[in-house]
Amino acid sequence: MNLSSELKQGITASANTDIPATSKDNARIQNAVTDQVARGLKEVTGLLRGPQRVVPVIRKLVSDKIHLTLEQRHLYSYTTTKRDSRDVLQSLLQWIIEAQRSDGGIAAYYSLLAGYSKSYPEVTGYIIPTLYEVARVTKSDDAVVAAEKATQWLLSLQMSNGSFPRGLDGETQPSVFNTGQILQGLVHAHRETHRCEIRDAAIAAGNWLVAMHQADGSWSGRGAYQGVAHTYYSMVSWALAELSEHTADHRYGEAAERNLDWVLSHFRPSGWIDGINLSGHPNFLHFIAYVLQGVLECALLRRRKDAIEAVAKSAWVLMRKFETSKFLPGAYEADFKRGHSFTCLTGNAQMSCIWLRLFEVTGDLRYLNAALKMNEMLKQIIPANGRPGIAGGVCGSYPVWGLYQPLRYISWGCKFLADALLMEQRLTHALDAYGFEALQCAS
Amino acid sequence: MRIVVLGSSVYSETACAMAVRLAGCGHVPVGALVLSTFERGTLLRKLAQWGVRDVTRYARRKLIPNHGNAQGIVHNSYLQPWLKNGSGIFRSLRGVAAFYDFPVVVGTNQNAPDSIARVRQWSPDLIVFTGGNILRKPLLDVPRLGVLNVHLGLLPEIRGMSSPEWSLLKGVPVGVTIHYLDAGIDTGPILRRYEFTDAAGCDSLTDLRNRLIAFGIEKIGEVVASLDQGAITAIPQTDSDTDNDKDKDNQFFVMHEWLRARATERLTQSRIGAAAERMHG
Repeated sequence: MNLSSELKQGITASANTDIPATSKDNARIQNAVTDQVARGLKEVTGLLRGPQRVVPVIRKLVSDKIHLTLEQRHLYSYTTTKRDSRDVLQSLLQWIIEAQRSDGGIAAYYSLLAGYSKSYPEVTGYIIPTLYEVARVTKSDDAVVAAEKATQWLLSLQMSNGSFPRGLDGETQPSVFNTGQILQGLVHAHRETHRCEIRDAAIAAGNWLVAMHQADGSWSGRGAYQGVAHTYYSMVSWALAELSEHTADHRYGEAAERNLDWVLSHFRPSGWIDGINLSGHPNFLHFIAYVLQGVLECALLRRRKDAIEAVAKSAWVLMRKFETSKFLPGAYEADFKRGHSFTCLTGNAQMSCIWLRLFEVTGDLRYLNAALKMNEMLKQIIPANGRPGIAGGVCGSYPVWGLYQPLRYISWGCKFLADALLMEQRLTHALDAYGFEALQCAS
Repeated sequence: MRIVVLGSSVYSETACAMAVRLAGCGHVPVGALVLSTFERGTLLRKLAQWGVRDVTRYARRKLIPNHGNAQGIVHNSYLQPWLKNGSGIFRSLRGVAAFYDFPVVVGTNQNAPDSIARVRQWSPDLIVFTGGNILRKPLLDVPRLGVLNVHLGLLPEIRGMSSPEWSLLKGVPVGVTIHYLDAGIDTGPILRRYEFTDAAGCDSLTDLRNRLIAFGIEKIGEVVASLDQGAITAIPQTDSDTDNDKDKDNQFFVMHEWLRARATERLTQSRIGAAAERMHG
């Protein structure tokens, strides 16, 4: 989710090839920093417009400070279930439904300073599969209605070339990443509803993505965030691979694999992935997890063992870090060094999804074990009650003032935690039904 | 042979039983280094492991000798043969030390320079580790032969935490390994592996763990005797745990309760299977 900078950042400056590389980089960094300052100021003024939010802000800041001071992380912190996953799933769904705006889009976040944001196309797109899955498990009609409204809003946003726009403020610049994330939602929505216009929209989006593909397999230049290629666009490959499966059109699958090869060339022997390439941001766990999740899911669809093994290696390094310190830093420097002191809750939930998928693929129970503990930690952190926007919400960071989406409850955090809990339920029920022997045979 | 015992607390039953077992084999420890019981981290860990009620009960039993059964109750009943002291029991390592006449030093970190200096004064041939900190190289280098550990799993297949539980879940034999500690997690050279064939006789995971601890203490006598006679050679583990290669990595981590429940089911199944075999056999 490029939200922080995509809101303001244009692509023209960095896409201009007449500017020398270092000047371009400096310009990118400057733009990113300016954007962050502007965003911060805008949110602070939000508190002036809504003084009733002062109390929740102070309460959250104090509560996180107290927890940080008194909390003792140890080996047994997350090994027992203190909150039922079904209840948490229900409250996550409630948060998402409350975050749905009148236009049908899902707000990107609830800011403790400024309240709900406007509808955000990217997150509205890839929250759709989660809503349908929650509906299936909880038998919630509300989730189906929310998914249908979200789909309808997205259809109204699609540009004539098939792409979807970046940002929150009705921008008209097309975005590769957002189009890919929305494509995921469209494919699932068509699977559920069989509506022709959704299928046509998905195909148009897929065609645009294929047309924007560079010869080396990346997406850069026009349509790419900050004008440069990013390895976390593996999420786009995943969406294309899904479209390929769904439409039986091999062109999308081939494009997905070209990007997969490009991303795989950025994996280091240490498991670290280069090319996240976000100027003005540290390497947030959220983006690292995006790379891994995109590669893994794409690899599973395209039956690429080499890619699964590459992801397993990186995921193992992170799992080991989590197991030995009960904490995954919210951002790392290269080779997973110098982890920051805050944690990125969305990245944690994404890692749980990745470990659960790897468990499913490899049968290695240690992945399941780590995911169960990670889910437990996340369940313990999210607020059980509070006003709409807070109750059941997932903060960007823990503590709330951490660098990733500070002072915000973010919709994609709820999405990934819901995904992780849904997957946990599916796999634990399957294990109870078919037993570990079946698992050993499978693995 | 000059042996030093390391323990997690002066009240550690395992450390007490180990010291008695070594003394029984003719190797009275030359000293013991244990962690302070009321160290904040240890206390919180115990609270999380056992819960407030059990920790209070355990502390009361340890600190107030006349409380409850005058014969004494031990947390791990399988250690009773070593902890028995006439009509009572050894309640702490201080009691064992007073009986066999060796010093006990209490510290907050076994790797601290003053702890290492103290151990060095005892000039040990061997250290026997029963609990405490993850040991660092300066301490590992002190004894002439090395630092012995009883690992509750068969190495190198099952390293790390919750080893008996992981052995059950993975369907591999349960057992103990007596090995030297090195800088890795359970990666040091192996002296002996002992398969535990009576898992089916255990009625819970706690029972299995307790029996494995006692089994390991029993077997350490054999290993120390063999070391004393120079009749045993440590065999390096064949794979390395120093890289990030997952395929070579046999480290396991603390098990979540959902998986523990499944490991318990495995144990129950093996007990039912064993009972059926006895009936038909």
